[in-house]
Amino acid sequence: MSSGHEHNGGHHGDHGPRTLPASLAAPEILSAWRTRALIVFAVATVLSVFFAFTHEGKNHILRAYLLGYMICFTFAGGGLVLLMLQYVSGGKWGLLLRRPLEAMTRTIWLVGLMFVPIIFLWKHLYQWAAFPTAGAVAEALERHAVTLEQAMTLNAKRAMLNPTAVIIQTAIVFGILWLFQYLLNKWSLERDADPARGTEPSYDRWRIKFENLSGPGILIYVILLTVGAIDWIKSLDITWYSSIWGLQFLVAQGYAVLALGILTVILLSRFEPMKTMLRATEQHDLGKLAFAFVMLNIYLCFAEFLIIWSGNIPDEIPWYLNRIHGGWWVVCSADFICHWLIPFCLLLSRDLKRNKQKMIWLTCFMIFARCLDMFWLIEPNFPDSAGNLHIAGNIGMLAYITVPVAVLSFWAAYYMTQLQARPLISVNDPHVEEMLEPEHAH
Amino acid sequence: MPPREGIYGLLAEFNTPSELVHATKEAHRAGYRRMECYTPYPVEEAAEALHFHKTRVPLVCLLGGLMGVTTAFLMETWVNVWAYPLNIAGRPLESWPAFIIPAYEWTILFAGFSACFGMIALNGLPQLYHPVFNAPNFRNGATTDKFFLCLEATDPMFSPAESRAFLEQFPAVSVVEVDH
Repeated sequence: MSSGHEHNGGHHGDHGPRTLPASLAAPEILSAWRTRALIVFAVATVLSVFFAFTHEGKNHILRAYLLGYMICFTFAGGGLVLLMLQYVSGGKWGLLLRRPLEAMTRTIWLVGLMFVPIIFLWKHLYQWAAFPTAGAVAEALERHAVTLEQAMTLNAKRAMLNPTAVIIQTAIVFGILWLFQYLLNKWSLERDADPARGTEPSYDRWRIKFENLSGPGILIYVILLTVGAIDWIKSLDITWYSSIWGLQFLVAQGYAVLALGILTVILLSRFEPMKTMLRATEQHDLGKLAFAFVMLNIYLCFAEFLIIWSGNIPDEIPWYLNRIHGGWWVVCSADFICHWLIPFCLLLSRDLKRNKQKMIWLTCFMIFARCLDMFWLIEPNFPDSAGNLHIAGNIGMLAYITVPVAVLSFWAAYYMTQLQARPLISVNDPHVEEMLEPEHAH
Repeated sequence: MPPREGIYGLLAEFNTPSELVHATKEAHRAGYRRMECYTPYPVEEAAEALHFHKTRVPLVCLLGGLMGVTTAFLMETWVNVWAYPLNIAGRPLESWPAFIIPAYEWTILFAGFSACFGMIALNGLPQLYHPVFNAPNFRNGATTDKFFLCLEATDPMFSPAESRAFLEQFPAVSVVEVDH
């Protein structure tokens, strides 16, 4: 045998590279999963209708719908930014998630459409929509429908927060996001169909093309997301300020999208082609990345809290008091435990990150935690709930369970349709070959 | 303590990592457990062949982290509540939100130190003497281009003659006896 450093283990049959599955199409099982999602959607919708007849039920359905919409936007928009991120950073984890992320981004028009019902009902959600002019605000102030501070803030912020402006901002946000996802999705198919595929020049040409779009795209996305998060969620409380808000949503999107992405690839890995492509190494990497987002998420949330707690000024502190007092501390603590403590402690473990079954449970739990956090952000904005969490005589609050389930399962059904539309692995990428190599113990 | 005497083990020298991994796997299959691979660069398959996966570094790191967070929190509480109580904007003396950041920093500091020094300690370092360096070919090759498998004499399977015969069935460059 020749001396020198030949490839380790290259001689052993069980260590040779595996072969790419003949068909890279998404497995048939997705149709069955989609049917299941639609059944859940139907059941949850029927249950939600019941709450419309309870006290304050319609308002709670609308707020819960906003929650569901925002989580769907998290997946569609967050999917887009993570897709662009993996184009700029490279890496095998990115190739693994690429097609699921593309499927998420292709739902962006549906999420945009989901916002339309909110436009028609938003005077029940936002003060700037209920009192869109200076006259309306003055009149509302007279009959004590708004406080003096709210009236002054409504007038001061009118340039950005008025019905027309928000419609325009929302249209711009979805328009630009749609354009980015259109280009990325179109190029991704063209890349695989490239006649020169599998060669170094083809790799380089496409890599640079994607990088050049994704780099500026990430920056543009962060700006658009900040605008969207302010318009849709933060402006529920017109008086509150926080400069970290957009970034917080961005990180929370990474958190949720990684959870959904990991869940998708692990569930699909029961069938070809993901069965061959998903190695423990990449699953471990994705788990580590999710861990980083869990940490960054609590870092930003706590930073915001600490700064406002330290300042302790009347402009800011009521936002937290409304979310801690009157029973809300239960939700607040549960949010901290579910959103950070549990995922953090579990993701510390190397074995858990490499275990498929446990990661399925954990990622589902993380998506639930996102919804819980969004509930904590949305509901205390309204006078009947601020600093006063009560279920008795307020049974409509339970719409927060059924409506988001309905909205999310509907979105999930469409996501699975989009997953089926393309081969699950992008082939014109040098990482494909690396992912077929045997994996190591480390 | 008197110096230990006798055979430390049998050292087989290989030219390629594949041969080393193959021999290690065979040795494991034959029932040898007290053995070690020595390579000039990390060969992950060798660790696999030795069935060496788990280390206790994560545990040491976790304990260090817990120690850090407890120490910092207790220290801050002691300073603020008993040692030097100050009224800051009317807040309670035990204002835990303000304690979190230093406690967090200490967690990382202690966890980092324990991971680093724990790893060194668990590796048995610093170690001033190791018997395998008694083999001249080991001294010359272990850090450049040779791959070694050492079957240690403490293994119940070990016998100077049979273990040597076992190692010589592989294309080893040499099999030498290493003394303590």
